[in-house]
Amino acid sequence: MVSIAGLGMRFASGGRAVSVLSDVSLEVPARQFLAVAGPSGSGKSTLLGLIAGLDRPTAGTITVAGADLTRLDEDALARFRLDTIGYIFQSFHLVPTLTAEENVAVPLELAGERDALTRARALLGELGLGERAEHYPVQLSGGEQQRVAVARAVARRPALLLADEPTGNLDSATGERIIELIVELNRSLGSTLVLVTHDAALAGHADRLVTLRDGRIVSDEMNPSPERSRLGGERTR
Amino acid sequence: MRGMWELRHGTRELRGAGRHFVYLAACVSLGVAALVAVGSLGRSVERTVAASGRTMLGGDLEVRSSQPLSPASEAAIAEIAGSGAGVTRIRELAAMAQPAAGRDHRTLLVELKAVGPAYPLYGRLETVPAAPLPDLIGKGRALVQEAVLSRLGLDVGDVLRIGGADFRVAGTIASEPDRAVGFFTLGPRVLIAESDLAATGLVQLGSRIRHRALIRTTPAADVEALRDALAARLGDPGLRVAGYRQAQPGLRRFWDQLTTYLGLTGLVALLVGGIGVAVSVRALLRRRLATIATLKCLGAPWRRIFLAYLLQTAALGLAGSVAGALLGAALARVLAPALSRLLPFPLDWTIAPAAVAHGIAMGVGVTLLCALPPLAEIHRVPPSLLLRHEVEPRPLGWRGAVAALPMAAGLSALALWQAGSWKVGALFIGGFAGGLALLYLTARAALAGARRLPRLRWIAWRHAVAGLHRPGGHAAAVLVTLGLAVMLVVAVALLEGAIRAALSGPSAARAPTFFFIDIQPDQAPAFARLLTDRTGAAPTLNPVVRARLAAVNGEPLSRDTGRRDEAWYLTREYVLTWAAAPPERDVITSGGWWTSEAAAREPLVSVEDEIAKSLGVRVGGRLTWDIQGVPITARVTSLRKVDWRTFGANFFVIFSPGALEGAPATFIATAHVAPAEADRLQSAVVAAFPNVSAIPVREVLERAAQLVDQIALAVRLVAAVSIVAGLIVLAGALSITRHERLYQAVVWKALGATRGLVARTFAVEYALLGAAAGLAGTALAAVLAWGVQRWVLEVPWLWQPAALAGGVAGACLLALAVGYLGSYRLLGQKPLAVLRGE
Repeated sequence: MVSIAGLGMRFASGGRAVSVLSDVSLEVPARQFLAVAGPSGSGKSTLLGLIAGLDRPTAGTITVAGADLTRLDEDALARFRLDTIGYIFQSFHLVPTLTAEENVAVPLELAGERDALTRARALLGELGLGERAEHYPVQLSGGEQQRVAVARAVARRPALLLADEPTGNLDSATGERIIELIVELNRSLGSTLVLVTHDAALAGHADRLVTLRDGRIVSDEMNPSPERSRLGGERTR
Repeated sequence: MRGMWELRHGTRELRGAGRHFVYLAACVSLGVAALVAVGSLGRSVERTVAASGRTMLGGDLEVRSSQPLSPASEAAIAEIAGSGAGVTRIRELAAMAQPAAGRDHRTLLVELKAVGPAYPLYGRLETVPAAPLPDLIGKGRALVQEAVLSRLGLDVGDVLRIGGADFRVAGTIASEPDRAVGFFTLGPRVLIAESDLAATGLVQLGSRIRHRALIRTTPAADVEALRDALAARLGDPGLRVAGYRQAQPGLRRFWDQLTTYLGLTGLVALLVGGIGVAVSVRALLRRRLATIATLKCLGAPWRRIFLAYLLQTAALGLAGSVAGALLGAALARVLAPALSRLLPFPLDWTIAPAAVAHGIAMGVGVTLLCALPPLAEIHRVPPSLLLRHEVEPRPLGWRGAVAALPMAAGLSALALWQAGSWKVGALFIGGFAGGLALLYLTARAALAGARRLPRLRWIAWRHAVAGLHRPGGHAAAVLVTLGLAVMLVVAVALLEGAIRAALSGPSAARAPTFFFIDIQPDQAPAFARLLTDRTGAAPTLNPVVRARLAAVNGEPLSRDTGRRDEAWYLTREYVLTWAAAPPERDVITSGGWWTSEAAAREPLVSVEDEIAKSLGVRVGGRLTWDIQGVPITARVTSLRKVDWRTFGANFFVIFSPGALEGAPATFIATAHVAPAEADRLQSAVVAAFPNVSAIPVREVLERAAQLVDQIALAVRLVAAVSIVAGLIVLAGALSITRHERLYQAVVWKALGATRGLVARTFAVEYALLGAAAGLAGTALAAVLAWGVQRWVLEVPWLWQPAALAGGVAGACLLALAVGYLGSYRLLGQKPLAVLRGE
């Protein structure tokens, strides 16, 4: 699903170049649940952003679902994100002027789907937010906002789900429920999931754990016994 | 469906920023209001003139001349009009009226009109008592305007003397269908029958008389075709042939120019609002950066996001423009009475749908064009902004200027549309762009200078100066817009003051009391004696010969010579004179005055330099004149600059002595007397020389000053709209930095500052902003007014400290007031709640 080779990323900061990622190579097969861990500033979020085509690498190539992102122009990248990617942010990034259901409907509407709002409302209902569909983000709790963001990310049943510290702004109990939700949805959609976290416990749920430090992969290990039972078992739909 | 998401998103986004949207719509609405009001009034006049063109002209066709029509011309009119058509003749002239003997010695300059039996061909002459015209005039009877009776102390039934004939006043004129110019007349009307005119003795060789032949065609006739045929047959360019669609050409031209000027003033208000639109859209997009990045992240290409915001802006521009059109209706209600006093007929004004459509199109156009550069930056918002907040769009640099090109081109096109002519449009665009650039540079210099202002110990001052550089602040935009509005209003005030001073100032005080015209040659010695006796000074009598231009440099003028707006130079009646020496105040700008030897050899002329330029004639060129059918060709030996402000006897064309010998000359003279003596002098002249007309110069100047007042009122009203637009931009800019100022206020209070100190700091900031805008705008206004006075109006620069100081102080106070209204609520905010982000 994801094929990364020799990836490098440098920024100019304060007049000097800072290397955020260097020589990262990674293969993520379809349907895998990959956790990317590492301390703050290790390049996790940048790697996720590059996989989503939000930015362009300064070196190397990224191929996602057969598309070489380094060869796509801005419009093609946008289309690629619309069709292939579902992105969940740490700070939700809901559009404040849209209601919960309108936020979820955005990708459906962009794709030209006719019954976008109906489907968005149904999806929110499935996630237990049916009552909150017409509320604005500011009227929702953090956990509710993140569930709306999750719903928006999966609305178009993307092949690749990217989650950037989705529990970082939530208390631990709420965070736990959000992770359950993401994992459950990922499984039911049959999509690939890349989860960025610095929480070792969350990373323990994944099929595979890649650890970054100073922009380099320092470990890449398969998890022989991911803690799926508890996650999947508690979730009711 | 394509476009649906853009529309939906644009609509949904309207929810989040009510303040921005109200502000944006308000920016647009004022300018549109001015355009709709002015446009509606202009079109109302056009419509009224078009609907009652036949009445105003007095017929379907008119042939007008300053000389009696030749038999050939009469025959042509009779032939073209054909059978079944009606023709009537009118002669108009200035004359002195006085009560018949036995009364006191009051006299009055009147506009005498002698009409033929069929008059009026169209419309109704309303009289008191109402009776058929043949029962009221003819056989020594006259109809007069009420003013004649009141000024001469007469009643209906009394006898009035005009020239050498007595007329019994048979009634008064309530309304006259074809009165040519209502707002500028020499005196009230006296109407007599054509058959009675000869008895007055006023029709003499060289008298100033307007001859009009009015034709009512048969109903089936094509008036325009007949007009062209008649014009072709008559050939003589001195005859003006008009169809009823060309009724009131002078009035239409005046009104056209006035509404063009007012429309452009309204456009300034709209463009000031346009700057507000740009500021507002830029501020909105700053707040929407995360939303735009999120949408891009969700897969929206930048063009779709751009289109969504563009549609939203267009909708707001439309809403603002519609509100502006409604406001324009109210503004027209205020403007109409001021402007309709300039019309000779009641103005039946309505809000013209075409003006509304034009105003709305201009409003939406300016909104979109001004929003374009900030909206184009949506392209540069990176989706990775969501990952790293420091990745803000970099400044555009020279690309910004390139991005502004389509906007500049579009706004120029709109300005040309509004101006309705390339020349006026180009002048406006040049002036506006120049003013804008100067104001922008001044604003930048002022802001840079503010950093270097002495660091006073006064803390409010220090922080106010720092506040001018607040991140995301719009001090430069406020300085430019408010400065532009101040410039407009102060320039109008300065020009108005200068014109008024020219009409009533020292040069007007030096103006003669009377201008006497139509003094016959045999009356000249006696007239000079009378004036010498009465005024104690011998008057200068200038001989004048009325003539038409026949050829320039040997090229005969034909009816279609020259462009329309230039035609008056070619077809007007020239008042020629001759002199041995150049007039005292005139300055020879080219060539030299003639010697008596040179003058004896051939006819020579000296021509006023401006009219020479229009005629395209230089020193050495030849002008041919038609004097009552006799051509005289003269060589131009000099060009002169004439000081018209003397209001004395000034001439476009002066001949060498002897050149006009034998031509039918009359004399004109001027006289200076104390105001108390004026009436007595006038009466004495009229008693001795009933055919001589005395034009009271000061009265004419006073009437011109009143006219200026009426126009100025309208101009000030429209210019004031741009001041309000400038204040809205200021209010909007303040509201944009509301969060920063709120934060500043509470941090200060948390640090122990009193509410008073915070208030003083804000007050000093606004006052500085207002003062800088006021200074820059006033300085530019002074430059603009100086240029217009020097080169267009040719009146001397007048130092008007009140207007200049008012510009600075007014801007300062208004900025302070608007700033206070926008900030006083911030002062009461509790620090803790704000700092916790609640």
